[in-house]
Amino acid sequence: MKRLTVQNQRPFELSLVPELTAAEFEAEGRQILSEGSRMMGLFEVEKTSGGKKVLAVFGNNETSQIYIVKCVFPKEGERFRSFAYEFPNTNYFECELAENSGILPEGHPWLRPVRKQNTILGNIPYQFYRVEGDEVHEVAVGPVHAGVIEPGHFRFQCHGETVYHLEISLGYQHRGIEKLLLKADDNKRALLVESIAGDTVIGHSMAYSLAMEALSKTGVSLRASVIRSIAEELERVAMHLSGLSGVANDVGFAIGAAAYGRLRTLVINSLLLISGSRFGRGLVRPGGVMYDLTEGAVKKITENLLIVQKDIAEINDFMFSSTSVMTRLEATGKVHYKWASEVGMVGPAARASGVKTDVRQDFPYGAYRYHATQTVTLDSGDVFARARIRSLEIEESLGFILERFVDIPQGEIFSEVKALRENTGVISLSEGWRGEIMHAILTGPDGKISSYKVKDPSFNNWYGLALSVRGEGISNFPLCNKSFDLSYSGHDL
Amino acid sequence: MYKGLKIRLAQGEPAIKDLQKASLPELFRGMPQIDGQKFTDGGKKCLEACPTGAILPDPLRIDLGKCTFCSLCTKANPEGAISFTSEYHMSSSTREGLITDGSVKMIRPEMASEKIRKYFGRSLKLRQVSTGGCNGCELELNALGNVNFDLGRYGIEFAASPRHADGIVVTGPVSKAMSKALYETYEAVPNPKIIILFGVCAISGGVFQDSEEIDRSFLKDFRADLYIPGCPPHPLTFISGIMDWLDRK
Repeated sequence: MKRLTVQNQRPFELSLVPELTAAEFEAEGRQILSEGSRMMGLFEVEKTSGGKKVLAVFGNNETSQIYIVKCVFPKEGERFRSFAYEFPNTNYFECELAENSGILPEGHPWLRPVRKQNTILGNIPYQFYRVEGDEVHEVAVGPVHAGVIEPGHFRFQCHGETVYHLEISLGYQHRGIEKLLLKADDNKRALLVESIAGDTVIGHSMAYSLAMEALSKTGVSLRASVIRSIAEELERVAMHLSGLSGVANDVGFAIGAAAYGRLRTLVINSLLLISGSRFGRGLVRPGGVMYDLTEGAVKKITENLLIVQKDIAEINDFMFSSTSVMTRLEATGKVHYKWASEVGMVGPAARASGVKTDVRQDFPYGAYRYHATQTVTLDSGDVFARARIRSLEIEESLGFILERFVDIPQGEIFSEVKALRENTGVISLSEGWRGEIMHAILTGPDGKISSYKVKDPSFNNWYGLALSVRGEGISNFPLCNKSFDLSYSGHDL
Repeated sequence: MYKGLKIRLAQGEPAIKDLQKASLPELFRGMPQIDGQKFTDGGKKCLEACPTGAILPDPLRIDLGKCTFCSLCTKANPEGAISFTSEYHMSSSTREGLITDGSVKMIRPEMASEKIRKYFGRSLKLRQVSTGGCNGCELELNALGNVNFDLGRYGIEFAASPRHADGIVVTGPVSKAMSKALYETYEAVPNPKIIILFGVCAISGGVFQDSEEIDRSFLKDFRADLYIPGCPPHPLTFISGIMDWLDRK
């Protein structure tokens, strides 16, 4: 075998990863992808005088296996034959690798910058894709948008009102997180991880903490694991409510926007009762959690969640049966199953297109190993499905939390983290509310972190948004955008 | 229609009545307090534990403009020499005003100039510019518009265009890629105009202060009028800060 097979959060010795030549790498990569696996990461791990070493990470939802392949590129041959034409899910990863390390994926159908728009990949400066012809026009928006949202640049190629192509150009939020993560000490690293995407604090700190625990062989108490999963589900409920409020607002359904917004406040204030922060900052750390769940908090949160459970049922019923809302949601921004699975979408957006992917089920971690959650999928892939799936996931998560409250295991909430093992690596996946989060951490011979790669679910899904507006009226863009609810900061790092 | 009415009734009155006097749960980490007498080591461990260099020595003070409210200092010093209260009135109209030795219970912002109050006292429209943060601050700014905080009742709103705004609210440490857009957005706002820095990243760079990818020259060129500390700041810190600053009740 020319690959290493591991499981989620299982540490592996780096010497066990076979080193392949570019030709072997191309063959093995194709083999893995044709078995139904999806690329999860492609990044440079080591630069020596002789060349560059790259790690490729693939995951298979069916078998719950993660495959790792390492390729050594000699100095004069920093190139390989691109996978992207046959396997579009690798497209963006290859662009990222080219931008960060200069290694060229030959024959890539659409090589373009990911975060640094002025980088020259290959030989020619990048030009936006353009549609030409009579009455074809281009609409450029951003980076500063009309609302209180993050910056990004969008170029629409339109014919009349109809969008033929949307190109999304990001990187405005790039603040060099991966470099800072390498320099930081333990205290600061945890804060940086919480600031990868400020709306997915728990999701990212889960992936990070579980990775550090794996690398140091630190055990975490059941109590801490359960508190973590409660926080993770609260985050999911809160952000799904926020998304539903946004969708309601974008179609002018004011009562829905107000009501979902009010319920969200209840949920993030519940998170405040656990962690002292409305976004769960400072709660999850390697070794466990920093705050214990008191009985008083459980009581208050239960009260809050019961209100949410009752009210949301009524609001959902009203919103999803209202004709004026449904005509705006249904058949708008369709991404059908074939596209969603081919481009490697993840999370609720993928599930709304019928792709059954959920890290909690496919690669279970933490408390989800003992307490399973149900994965819900819909198949229409339109704005309606992406909104509806979020309301269904809220119900599921509320049920999960209330069940956990009945019987929270006793025990310590924190155990001291031991030293990291040398020359070891770990792939850590968690299901943030947007979908699959991956943190890959490698240590050097001194037991210090030598390589840190982060992948936010938005990295997989931005291209899905571009596909969803093809053939749509340009005025439907805000609605499509809100239904995906993607992170700029998580993408830009 | 009956469904709609029923839902409207079920909302009750979600708005917080007095945003200056609302209280937050005990666990909320707001204004820190320092009790120097409780240190057994003169605060050395706290200084070392702080990931952002927010604790200043001799005498010990906390710079709220750098503090991410992570509370590691309280864990490094279990004697309780530093503690966080749930006090959210923390905004300041000067950068120095954010440096507190703990004896000051509340930082009352100084008054805005007569001219600013005359122009913006009753209606203030702001344009937000997001510059390399994590979206946490944006979420809290958006929360200001919800039915609980309902900022609009005070005539304070976020405008879509800088041309319609009286000032900008900056979030994030100012990434290199956003530096130019920040200058241009500010230039597009008509005079007189104000600058509000929202969150620790905008005020000092926060956890990103050492990054090579940020460029804070805009903040060197222009002086901010109001500083709202927090990571992210609680909506009440923003509202109370701005109301005090405009001298409104």
